[in-house]
Amino acid sequence: MRTTTPPGGVSATPPSGVRRIRLPQKLRNTELWLLIVACMINAAAIVLVQLGAMGGIDTQLVLLGVGLSVLAFGMHIAMRFVARDADPFLLPIATVLNGLGIAMIYRIDIANAESGWESASVRQIVWSAIAIIAGIVTIVLLRNHRVLFRYTYLSGLIAIVLLLLPLVPGLGHREGGAQVWISIGIATFQPGEIAKIALAVFFAGYLVRNRDSLSMVGRKFLGMQFPRARDLGPLLVVWALSMAVIVFQRDLGTALLYFGLFLVMLYVATSRLSWVVLGLGLFIGGALVASQTLDYVGNRFANWLDPFNPERFDQEFGGSYQVVQGLFGLANGGLIGTGWGQGRPDITPVPQSDYIIASLGEELGLAGVFAILALYVLFVARGFRIGFAGQDDFGKLLGVGLAFVIALQVFIVVGGVTRVIPLTGLTTPFLAAGGSSLVAHWIIVALLLRLSDTVRNHPRLVIDG
Amino acid sequence: MSELTLLVLQLGFLVLLWVFIFAIVYALRSDLFGQRVRKLQPDAGAAQAPAPAASFPAAAPAAVGASAGAAPHPAAPASGPGGETASTQNATKLVITSGQKAGTEFPLGRDEITIGRSADSAIIIRDDYTSTHHARLMLWNGRWMIQDLDSTNGTFLNGSRVTVPTPIPLGATVKVGATTFELRR
Repeated sequence: MRTTTPPGGVSATPPSGVRRIRLPQKLRNTELWLLIVACMINAAAIVLVQLGAMGGIDTQLVLLGVGLSVLAFGMHIAMRFVARDADPFLLPIATVLNGLGIAMIYRIDIANAESGWESASVRQIVWSAIAIIAGIVTIVLLRNHRVLFRYTYLSGLIAIVLLLLPLVPGLGHREGGAQVWISIGIATFQPGEIAKIALAVFFAGYLVRNRDSLSMVGRKFLGMQFPRARDLGPLLVVWALSMAVIVFQRDLGTALLYFGLFLVMLYVATSRLSWVVLGLGLFIGGALVASQTLDYVGNRFANWLDPFNPERFDQEFGGSYQVVQGLFGLANGGLIGTGWGQGRPDITPVPQSDYIIASLGEELGLAGVFAILALYVLFVARGFRIGFAGQDDFGKLLGVGLAFVIALQVFIVVGGVTRVIPLTGLTTPFLAAGGSSLVAHWIIVALLLRLSDTVRNHPRLVIDG
Repeated sequence: MSELTLLVLQLGFLVLLWVFIFAIVYALRSDLFGQRVRKLQPDAGAAQAPAPAASFPAAAPAAVGASAGAAPHPAAPASGPGGETASTQNATKLVITSGQKAGTEFPLGRDEITIGRSADSAIIIRDDYTSTHHARLMLWNGRWMIQDLDSTNGTFLNGSRVTVPTPIPLGATVKVGATTFELRR
């Protein structure tokens, strides 16, 4: 920094004191350029699907895609006004992932000869629009994340109610074995997705208030400090909650997601490894018991360990047909894929939701899947970074929790499809067909953007050597 | 549409996807490799220094650390180890006492204050001796503590290196890189 202070004169710099550094449009301009590239990728994906699968171009869906780009730019413009210092990478990454998902769902619609308002791709576009608007509303209305701290216990209650909703008779709706949907009129909704955000807020607030008793006392054993028996309460409650999800909602993935989220936030808040050891022990114990006693969990384990057994492959319900078809699809894709619209991802059951990563792997190949995983890595790394740079403990924990929940969800889904862990039904964030998942994840994007804006937006002093 | 055209388009699409990723990584480079170090101009400090304290920019870190105790602070003798600890009640501002910005005040709120070369620090010090995330001032039960974040050249409180979070007495000299500051009423 150049100063023109004459020797001995202190008039120019010192009284100005604290300088508020405003990089007014620098971050937003980075975002604008990345967003333009993101929208180009999305448009290219849809056009390539049409060229590959139909040999021509149909302008109707391209126009719908343009509408979505307009909304993404709307979010960008909203941020120029209400979150000038927010992270510039989250929005473009989320836009690209969302667009790749729409292109693949559209491709599968073409294979199944579905079109118009009933097709999955148009529904996905409409849901994406709703989700982005939800994100914009969140970032405009929520001007300071610390407001959420006041509603710690309320959001805990909301999470429990949302989790219980699908079990209410008449409202609940069972699909593919798992009772996690509710149906309101024409649409079905998965309240567990929104519950995820409420749980992250609750865990962050609760741990900030109570972490001293969870981290200070306890006795040392095996080189780790273990908590007192009476401080185990919260861990056991969350464990019981996730076991209840396994038993009553028949949803292994969601249970793993909630429990993993709690464990990581507990570890971040207390920096004690013993919590992770205790928690993993509890969960693995519970999952083993469940695999012995509950049919559907047992099937999942068997399909994981021995999918190529012809007996399992031909089994009508709960067999390994889906797992194996997904693997065949990935193998068919090879290094650079078959090309948009030229593979056969529609052979695998539910290729547009649980198995969308296998569908993308078939048509984009290893190069494409790695690109998608790299986008997730960047997204999650930004989230952790926002948590790390946070000024208050609540914001730190919330940022880490929200970023981790996406990381864990990607791991559970992609790990299940590629046979690293047993397959469990969860949506791939931003990619998979499903409205509730999209809405939840765009709200997470908005919350992370809000956190990153508060992180950067505080008085600063710059001293140049 | 021939197969060859589709193959070329597919490759083009994958390249575009990776270009997008590398554009993000390029924009993030300061996160991955730390902030760029700016070289000190040997004579710039001396020419602009209103206070004599700023005239050791090129000294080795160890020598700078040793001289900190003897740094010219006639106002600071009262701040021995037994001095009153700075807390939210009695400290209102942080004052830079040496370096380019000597005399600058920074208000103390209730938020922690991070110090380092990175752009997300509350107090950004860009010189050769400051680490990307160097130190932070935080509140423990209403008292201001200084914590060194594993910095390369250390943080010094009244000339001794800070290894664990330490309460800061009012008026005690804290030294980060080539900059010193103290907390005042």
